[in-house]
Amino acid sequence: MADVMTHKDPFFTPRRRRQLVSVLLAALSAIWVYPLVWMIFASFKPNSELFSNPGMIPDAPTVENYVRAWREANISTYFFNTLFVTVGSVVITSIASALMGYVLGRRPVPGRFAIMGLMVFTLFIPQGYTIIPVFELLTKLGLGQSLWGLMLATCGHSIVVFTLLFAGYFTQMPKELEEACRMDGVGPVKTFVYVMLPLAKPIIVTVVVMQSLQAWNDFLLPLVITLANPAMRTLSVGIYSFKGENFVDWGGMTAASTIAIVPIILLFLFLQRYFIDGLAGAVKG
Amino acid sequence: MSSVTLKSVTKSYGQTEVIRGVDIEIEKGEFCVFVGPSGCGKSTLLRMIAGLEDITSGDVAIGGRRVNELDPAQRGTAMVFQSYALYPHMTVERNMGFGLLMNGEPKAKVKAKVDEAARILQIEQLLDRKPRQLSGGQRQRVAIGRAIVRDPAVFLFDEPLSNLDAELRVATRLELAKLHSQLDGATMIYVTHDQVEAMTLADKIVVLRGGYVEQVGAPLDLYNNPANLFVAGFIGSPRMNLIAVKDGKLPDGTALPAAAAGAGHIGLRPDALAPDAGGILSGVITVVERLGDADFVYFRTPWGQELTTRFAPGTAGGAGDAIRLGVTGKMHVFDSNGQAIPA
Repeated sequence: MADVMTHKDPFFTPRRRRQLVSVLLAALSAIWVYPLVWMIFASFKPNSELFSNPGMIPDAPTVENYVRAWREANISTYFFNTLFVTVGSVVITSIASALMGYVLGRRPVPGRFAIMGLMVFTLFIPQGYTIIPVFELLTKLGLGQSLWGLMLATCGHSIVVFTLLFAGYFTQMPKELEEACRMDGVGPVKTFVYVMLPLAKPIIVTVVVMQSLQAWNDFLLPLVITLANPAMRTLSVGIYSFKGENFVDWGGMTAASTIAIVPIILLFLFLQRYFIDGLAGAVKG
Repeated sequence: MSSVTLKSVTKSYGQTEVIRGVDIEIEKGEFCVFVGPSGCGKSTLLRMIAGLEDITSGDVAIGGRRVNELDPAQRGTAMVFQSYALYPHMTVERNMGFGLLMNGEPKAKVKAKVDEAARILQIEQLLDRKPRQLSGGQRQRVAIGRAIVRDPAVFLFDEPLSNLDAELRVATRLELAKLHSQLDGATMIYVTHDQVEAMTLADKIVVLRGGYVEQVGAPLDLYNNPANLFVAGFIGSPRMNLIAVKDGKLPDGTALPAAAAGAGHIGLRPDALAPDAGGILSGVITVVERLGDADFVYFRTPWGQELTTRFAPGTAGGAGDAIRLGVTGKMHVFDSNGQAIPA
């Protein structure tokens, strides 16, 4: 009898435990993603229904909000402004941080640690402190009122982090690869372009995703730079303008927000595998 | 192919001298092996010939041309690295042709060279694969192939077999020996810490220790006539029995033959000893290794030293047995400074 008792299946078999954990995690994810999904559904509701029907599913779905946002609220212009700034800053940031990271990670640079220390120090300065000098710099360069200036300034946010990511990754690469290139008579530039850079693909993808997110969602910097010139606004600033003095166009705002997040979600879906590789690699290193 | 000459070559890292005045002459087409324990400077020396390390003083000449100031690619050498250093993101074909392509060689010519090297190394079917899809031995071949396509005057090998398992190491060793003759006797310099590799591959062995050359010579020369205690102990497996002697007597007082007069040490290879009831060496067996073709017997002498001898298969006793051995082969004699005294 005692023998039978000890062989009774426990209620929490590993399989059941896994199922239970999955259900709990799914519930948590649903709560987490609810505001986002609500916003997307709300963008299909007319303004009149937004507060009368707080549920998720619209009674009378309409794309009117999208039409209004795209045409009347200039979201189309803002969308392409943002695209321009984002793509440009991603290109500049990726190239610059890869080059700097390579030099800091692999070349005998005098004062390397001092340079890196200074770079890390800048991470602790809040953006608000630097925004006026940055604006002034851009004005002096004659870029104060242009998207080029905004693009350049947007590069500055995370370039330190990206440079350190690249430096950390390049440090781990075996020195024999470069030596093999030297034996083959391949110069430093070609070594970087054809050997080192392709091997740093996970980091490149990480930088592309993170900088895209940053540039796409940035608010304070574009707000300050485009204050005097509404035609240069980016999406995040443009969306803010749905909030008028007496009336907030919530329908237009949700539609514009949905337009704004779609490209970023698509980008992440395409690159998520490499992105996670890159971050995991950086932690492992 | 070219000769390689090193004259009074030194290398220092700050105050630390790692190569202390090395003179080596490597003939055209020779297979020269640098051998020595870890940290003896053999890899550094190879890298200095390759141009990957600066030369602190002295001259390195390849084919009669001083190359101290030349870039690695201009020295006419090709190197096979211990880790192979294949470019992980490129196919085998691209790995082998990369250097030539980057230097502006026409694609068709590079392809022909790569195909020829692949044929010699029998890796034609691997050309489209990436290095991670290859076994250790295959990667090794690709690394050698990358050296062959450059058509170098001198091949440099930095411990190329140390990442392979024992069986593959023996097989690849044979392949390398064949390759040397197949490449019309190309000049090859090979670094290893394994004296068996050195003995089997080399035309000439350079034994290094602590940044000095201890001895240079043909494998059997070094085996039969080691110049000093270090070489005597390093070359040969199992290693030579080296016994400290005084006034022509063993530590237990047994008198030695007249040849050992004035010696500081005598050296006896394991196969130079045989059971002999009137022999000069006695001891108690501690371990017997039966290899099938021979029995290696480790025995402890009355003065507590462990020595080795070789018996015909199945003829050795067991641990704990007492044995007495006489000298049947050559007795090497070294003076008190460890230098060989010619017989």
